[in-house]
Amino acid sequence: MITTRAQPTLASIQAAAKAAGTMIPPAWPLASTVAVNPFLGQAGLGLPETAALLERVAGVRVCMPRSWFEAKIDRGAITDADLAAALAAAPAKDRLESVTALKAMAKAAHRVPLALPTVAHLAARHSGLDWPGIITDRIGVWAGAEFDAGQALWAAARPPGTGPATGVVTSSSAYPSGSAYPSWRRFATHDLTPEIAGLQGFAARVQALPERAEEALEIVVRRLGLSDAALPTCFHAMLMSMGGWAQAARWRLWQAEMSGGTDDTLFDLLAIRLVYEDALLARYAALRPLWDDACQAHAVPVSPAEDHVVDAILQEAAERAEQRGLAALLAAPTTMAAPRNRSSLQAAFCIDVRSEVFRRALESVDAGIETIGFAGFFGLPLSHRRFGSSVSEAHLPVLLSPGIGTCVAVTPELEAKEAQVQVLARAKRAWKRFRIAAVSSFAFVEAAGPVYAGKLLQDSLRIARPSPAPDPAPRLDPAIGHEQRVATALAVLRAMSMTSDFARIVLLSGHGAHVVNNPHASALHCGACGGQTGEVSARVLAGLLNDPAVREGLADAGLALPPDTFFVAGLHDTTTDTVTLFDQDVASPAHTNDMAQLRDWLAQAARLARTERALRLPRAKDESDIAVRSRDWAEIRAEWGLAGCKAFIAAPRRRTAGRDLAGRAFLHSYEWAEDKDFGILELILTAPVVVASWISLQYYGSTVAPDVFGAGNKLLHNVVGGMGVLEGNGGPLRVGLPWQSVHDGEKLIHDPVRLTVAIEAPCAAMTDILARHPGVRTLFDQHWMHLLALDDNGQIAWRYAGHLTWEPAVPA
Amino acid sequence: MLHAFIATAPALLLLAAAVHAHTGPMMRPARRMVGVGWAALAATAMAVAGIVLLVIHGPATTPLLGWAGLGFSWRLDALSVTMQMLVGFIGWVVLRYSAIYLDGEPRQGPFMGWICATLAAVLVLVSAGNLALLMVAWVATSLCLHKLLLFYPERAPAQRAARKKFLFARVADMALLMACVLLWVGYGTGDIGSILAIARQGGGAGPFLNIAAAALIAVAALLKSAQFPTHGWLTEVMETPTPVSALLHAGVINAGGFLLIRFADLLLLTPGVLALLAIVGGFTALFAGLVMLTQPAIKTSLAWSTIGQMGFMILQCGLALFPLALLHIVAHSLYKAHAFLASGGAVEQVASIPRAGPVAVPNGMAVAKAFGLGIVIYLLIGLGMGFAFGFPPKSPQSIAMGAILIFGVAYLIAQGLADSAPAKLTLYTAASATMTAVGYFTLQGLAEVLLSTTLPATPPPGALEWTLMTLAVVSFGLAAMAQAMFPLWAYHPAAAGLRVHLTNGFYANALLDRLTGGWRAAKSS
Repeated sequence: MITTRAQPTLASIQAAAKAAGTMIPPAWPLASTVAVNPFLGQAGLGLPETAALLERVAGVRVCMPRSWFEAKIDRGAITDADLAAALAAAPAKDRLESVTALKAMAKAAHRVPLALPTVAHLAARHSGLDWPGIITDRIGVWAGAEFDAGQALWAAARPPGTGPATGVVTSSSAYPSGSAYPSWRRFATHDLTPEIAGLQGFAARVQALPERAEEALEIVVRRLGLSDAALPTCFHAMLMSMGGWAQAARWRLWQAEMSGGTDDTLFDLLAIRLVYEDALLARYAALRPLWDDACQAHAVPVSPAEDHVVDAILQEAAERAEQRGLAALLAAPTTMAAPRNRSSLQAAFCIDVRSEVFRRALESVDAGIETIGFAGFFGLPLSHRRFGSSVSEAHLPVLLSPGIGTCVAVTPELEAKEAQVQVLARAKRAWKRFRIAAVSSFAFVEAAGPVYAGKLLQDSLRIARPSPAPDPAPRLDPAIGHEQRVATALAVLRAMSMTSDFARIVLLSGHGAHVVNNPHASALHCGACGGQTGEVSARVLAGLLNDPAVREGLADAGLALPPDTFFVAGLHDTTTDTVTLFDQDVASPAHTNDMAQLRDWLAQAARLARTERALRLPRAKDESDIAVRSRDWAEIRAEWGLAGCKAFIAAPRRRTAGRDLAGRAFLHSYEWAEDKDFGILELILTAPVVVASWISLQYYGSTVAPDVFGAGNKLLHNVVGGMGVLEGNGGPLRVGLPWQSVHDGEKLIHDPVRLTVAIEAPCAAMTDILARHPGVRTLFDQHWMHLLALDDNGQIAWRYAGHLTWEPAVPA
Repeated sequence: MLHAFIATAPALLLLAAAVHAHTGPMMRPARRMVGVGWAALAATAMAVAGIVLLVIHGPATTPLLGWAGLGFSWRLDALSVTMQMLVGFIGWVVLRYSAIYLDGEPRQGPFMGWICATLAAVLVLVSAGNLALLMVAWVATSLCLHKLLLFYPERAPAQRAARKKFLFARVADMALLMACVLLWVGYGTGDIGSILAIARQGGGAGPFLNIAAAALIAVAALLKSAQFPTHGWLTEVMETPTPVSALLHAGVINAGGFLLIRFADLLLLTPGVLALLAIVGGFTALFAGLVMLTQPAIKTSLAWSTIGQMGFMILQCGLALFPLALLHIVAHSLYKAHAFLASGGAVEQVASIPRAGPVAVPNGMAVAKAFGLGIVIYLLIGLGMGFAFGFPPKSPQSIAMGAILIFGVAYLIAQGLADSAPAKLTLYTAASATMTAVGYFTLQGLAEVLLSTTLPATPPPGALEWTLMTLAVVSFGLAAMAQAMFPLWAYHPAAAGLRVHLTNGFYANALLDRLTGGWRAAKSS
């Protein structure tokens, strides 16, 4: 049977491996993590096709259980009209005959998803030994060291450079491409565990394979008898079986590609995993017929079953129901007062859904307050070196590359202080190494152990550690020319739709979270700032816009700012809703009273926002509980992050002001009439909308398939290599959101619906942009997001129906 | 005698708390948790009250509730109150943490209940005045902990680890049971205080019985403390919520060390058993310390650290430095409880490493200087403090132990002496090294003074002891040198194999899994 099969060539194996790699989403290290669309590799497929594919390769479902839809139908959240609309929107071949039939399907049980077996699975059934578990364990032991960012003092290999492991690597360029397979080979040829577990001769077998991954891969693919047609989903399944490790490898590739390079770690992982398959097949030769069946099943093209199609239609109906709710909300009368001539305050916040609650609260405090929504990196692609630090860290969306370097402005007196900070940091690090090294750890415990009684007391009683003073104001480093400064300022103001009617005070507020003892803390920071807080971006922009020379340049370019307008940077703490102002970055004595007024307004808004949020947080009795929770080392739900996100609205704020969007909508300020060539619209559709879809789909994936796309149980998290978490002792790296971040113990906090994007702009302009950006278009065509157009009254009027066509939002 | 009944109070309070938690709602038992927290705090307060009574009335054992010298009685002495205060405090921290950490778990109530029950069992164990009660509490601790290790019973890795733990625990039970029977027969009583008093006078039973009982106690203690080669189970019990790890590593794991300290008078009669403890403990300390260097996962690394620390504590027992061993238990528990509970901060900690710039690597010369400086600091402080505070003259064993610790401190100095280190860094590391040395000499002096009446003094060393001490000082010294010069040799190709074997903990778990069928999966067709 094997002999009749065409043997794949090295070229086709490499092509298939590369293609399988694109099926895997990247996972950022937890030090600065961002949300990633877990279906990134399936963006070109619809939900039913994705469901069929992921069922084959990972045995996972990608929609909620039928009972979830049934409950929504029963309580009227999904109406017959929603079901009918979803049915009508489905491709003709997929349509069920009627809404009644669809409702019946919602009550029917879904078949149990079943992946095609790997050799490891077959061997487990045959031998009664948990081979998939053993392989996961072995790969995990090796990969934990391979991806270690500095936890272990004795790293697996001397990291590039001179010294020993120096920790976080912000770009993958530090990893020599193609080093993973040799590193694993060194491990596997010494490791006795597989032999002890029952895989005799494994180390020798690895030793006998070629040293280069592609040659080893070619050999094992041939030995496994894989045909060309079987490669795509077989490779995909192998990568999926390694969970987060494959995604961490994909991140290295992503980073390398951003800087024009490439990385082989993912390819190496595939080869490694298949070496285990090959060894198991040699160990249990009786499995050959069963494995051949599996190979043949892999060679059959993936096509969705009826259950996959029904799931997708029900999912669409649930999303139609949400859109109906949004349309009603936008149509309802509001009590917002008409705007005054000149606002007393303009406050710009990140589009993040958490800003919505605070913006609504702030606007309710005074009629003269206007808020603006814009991506929290304020359009500045920064790479920032913080005070006393030796490394620059990226503060921008991961889709972009840094373009502006910044560091902290260092005056002569600060210079000495910075040197002092650096030496202290090194002494602290020397102490930490002393604490964990082989012999010194005993001395450490006997001398310093009792001190920890005080620390236990302090943390148990939630006594706040003194928070470090904010860094001195950042500056551009290297400095950029006057023209570029003006051009940058101009571009940002235009992108924010801020070209006239400036208030006396303009607050530019980034955001960050304040939580302790949380491995996923950076996931709560600003996604647009690459998992950092938005502080530096806001302070850099405020510095630019307060610069008299820049203002002159802006006036020359036709954008004159009133002389009394003062820009102040702020940092919105999304956990406690306090806003820290950096009004001392540029001294402006004329605005002293304005700052006092601003602080008062912000404090009032903070109380209102906390009161609203306390209702959703478990165990929070009222707003005063929130600050204590944020410094509680045992609290795993200090804030809800972006849970609940479901809509993205790009429109003037007056369309949404005074309407309770419940912290579930990304709000981007946008005036299409002022966007002459729709350049800003293009930017919105291609950058913030895509980032929002990654966030929405990360929540979706972590909710519907927590075992595969979620990070598991927070109570068991075991931080590995400072870059990710394991659930318990070992197993695969777990990426995505922890279960506790989408569930409060009794119910889901995140409703898994895909994002609805509503934009107030002419349909033709959007069509034009989609036509030029196939990557974005496919996200809408395949319903990974929905696109709606608002009319000139801010009402939902049109729906993007795919293939660059539009239809009325409410069927006539 | 009656004042010794205060030793029953902490356990009774936590037993009541266990019942309270078990009978409440399973999910979000907010009101019950308040009561549980107060019970733990009250238990700590009762331990403090025990100290007051101990100071006023002296050590005592309650009257026996039992028959033929066997039964329940509680002992109030410096060892039992120290352990009770430690366990009560750690218990309070862990319960307070769990009340919030497990919020929303469907079985939070039972979880709190089992934590309380485990704490109650440990509190009884450390204050048991009679062999029978000691035995009951010993087994109860293990069984309650087993419930916690299987808090998620459906998790295969949890079952795998719990199975190994269960196996060793039952062997340890058998060893301790036989030891208790031998002691009861040989000494004609189950009263621990009486047995120790007789042993201190030179022993009431024959040398054979003493050796057998001491060896069995040593075996039970080694198993409980996860010593080589039975260390595997401890590194795989992270399959249960973090507070259990804190409780295990800061409370339950001490049972072995406590047992050795409790029977110190008996162990002193059997130098051979002490030598065995010193060798196994010393080896485990070095071995686990090296393994820890290779572990990338924070909790796993902390677990290896515990194995090493327990080894070091057992080495101290083996050298008859029982007060130092108790100090080590207390200091380690406080550190380790915090380290586990705060392990979520590992991401931020690792991220901060490169911000401080490249790590300065000391060369051979710098390391040699550091060791020289370390010895100078040792002499100055050790001698100076002896004169200043009039601490009792140090035994040679204690001096050897101090030397080992100063080798560790030399690592701190060495980091500051690396070529690329600025002068200020040298100053800081030297200052913290000095403070560290002062810190532990003070603590050691205090421990020796405070426990001098409860625990036997270290006897003058014989030939065997001198050999052991020399071996310990030389091997720890070499390991400390190797550690200080770490990056210079660790990435040599010849070290690659060693690193792999160390990473796997010398395959103790792999072999045990093979024996216990740890990787068994459902077999079909």
